[in-house]
Amino acid sequence: MEERILENKGLVVRHSLLERIEHWAVALSGLVLLATGLFELPIARRYFITELPGLGWSGDFITSLNIHYAASVVFISACFFHLVYHGLLGHEGMIPRKGDLRASVEVIRSFFGRGKEPPFDKYLPEQRLAYAGMAVIVALLIFSGLVKTWKNLFDPSLSPVLVLTATWVHNGAFVLFLLAFVAHVAALILKPNRPMIRGIFTGSVRLDYARERHPFWISRVEEEGGGPNRLKKEKAGDASRGT
Amino acid sequence: MSESPKISRRGFLKIAGGAALAAGAGFPRTAEAKEPRGLATLIDIGRCDGCPDFEMPLCVSACRELYLSRVSEPVDPIPKLFPRGQVEDWSKRKHVFDRLTPYNRLYVQKAAVSENGETREFFIPRRCMHCDRPACATLCPFSANQKYENGAVVIDPDLCFGGAKCRDLCPWAIPQRQSGIGIYLHILPTLAGNGVLFKCDLCYERITKNELPACVSACPRKVMTFGSREAVFAEAEKRVGETGGFLYGKNENGGTSTLYLSPVPFDRLNEVVDKGPGKPHFEAVKSRIAGTDPLGKSLLLSPVAGIAAAWFGVALAASGTKKQQGGE
Repeated sequence: MEERILENKGLVVRHSLLERIEHWAVALSGLVLLATGLFELPIARRYFITELPGLGWSGDFITSLNIHYAASVVFISACFFHLVYHGLLGHEGMIPRKGDLRASVEVIRSFFGRGKEPPFDKYLPEQRLAYAGMAVIVALLIFSGLVKTWKNLFDPSLSPVLVLTATWVHNGAFVLFLLAFVAHVAALILKPNRPMIRGIFTGSVRLDYARERHPFWISRVEEEGGGPNRLKKEKAGDASRGT
Repeated sequence: MSESPKISRRGFLKIAGGAALAAGAGFPRTAEAKEPRGLATLIDIGRCDGCPDFEMPLCVSACRELYLSRVSEPVDPIPKLFPRGQVEDWSKRKHVFDRLTPYNRLYVQKAAVSENGETREFFIPRRCMHCDRPACATLCPFSANQKYENGAVVIDPDLCFGGAKCRDLCPWAIPQRQSGIGIYLHILPTLAGNGVLFKCDLCYERITKNELPACVSACPRKVMTFGSREAVFAEAEKRVGETGGFLYGKNENGGTSTLYLSPVPFDRLNEVVDKGPGKPHFEAVKSRIAGTDPLGKSLLLSPVAGIAAAWFGVALAASGTKKQQGGE
């Protein structure tokens, strides 16, 4: 992790480059998957989508399927990378904690002017819950998608019950993924959350915002040596080693 | 922060390479490359005379007798489709039997071929080819259309929304739609779906009871030979060897379980048959879904790729931590 305070810039690093690559790989391929998944329904011609500039291909199910497969390669690789990499390194910041549900209700109430929001760690309790929810949806999408792809490639007469189950799990999870995506973007429109937006693009957020809203996180960063004196300490260490 | 596991870069590469190789090498052959299985039909065009003494060919009447009543009556009025408005209603034209319709799942196509100053007339029973790798079934968004072990490709009218994707994907545009019936009426009748698609199901119920499809048993001239795929394909090759002739359906769309045997080349037949909606052609057809195989296989390997990359990342993180510790 590269979390550290950049005191002179008034910023704190929230997401490493690797995390941002993971996020955008999943987000962008997920968007392509949503669109091409929709185009696997016979709607593009019916609703004149094929007549929009650059979307002539949307009415061709095989072209859509190829793009869906290509985006799935990115999406699935990124999800498995995320799971294994952060799992092995023991990163637990986004794992839901006891009391998150109750805390989330308080936070949501505070968004609407009812009560004061509690101080946060790096992530909000509802972010941790949303992450777990999204993980379940993504797992359903991936495993049902793998079954469907296997059937498409190798076994068209795979058990009809299995195929039907995989299809409806995929379709249901598709709807949930779409709703989760909309909720994710909608959460960023809420004023208190807006300072977090720059983090997923640039990697850092405003230090004053983080100190005010995420004090537990900032104290942890300082405790782990990512505080403003980090460079001084490193330089002192280098000097004592004679480097 | 927990301590990073210790994995050497070389060790990682060995594991990742081995896993990828094993996963790649472990793929079975794609659907059309598998050994044939299930049941098949040989349709010997040279034997069919179109049943000139009957109002309609006996195979067609046998099929209609069995299936005409299976299409439920559409609602009246049929909901207009948004935004295009069109519906497909065959309920007042059930009598039509010179093309495929929801009520007519088999029809006899006519072809007059001139050769050496003589014209020979052919009668060709046409219906679903029951492809080995039917994109109409595998890509049905609701799995309403399924391929079975016995070779039959069957649409379940209770699950079909009537979007007609199967007809768009079928190289012969075989499935036919009846609007105003089916599950879509209970969901968003004007916005999604448009009825139910119908086509030959190879008399699925009959063949599971070891009976012949109705059209096969009704034919007085034994135009159709039905049985195990191996035996039917062998019979087709035998007849080609004995009398000459041409086969259609063996390689079309990646292979099908319906073979047509003709004394004249199929491109000649294709030139003269009536083609259009409900009237399939005899063109050479390549499987388009086979073109998705490379990306499909990459997709199936993606979990391995993601895990391998993560392992590599963790190994890098571990070596970084080690260097840092060594330097301190």
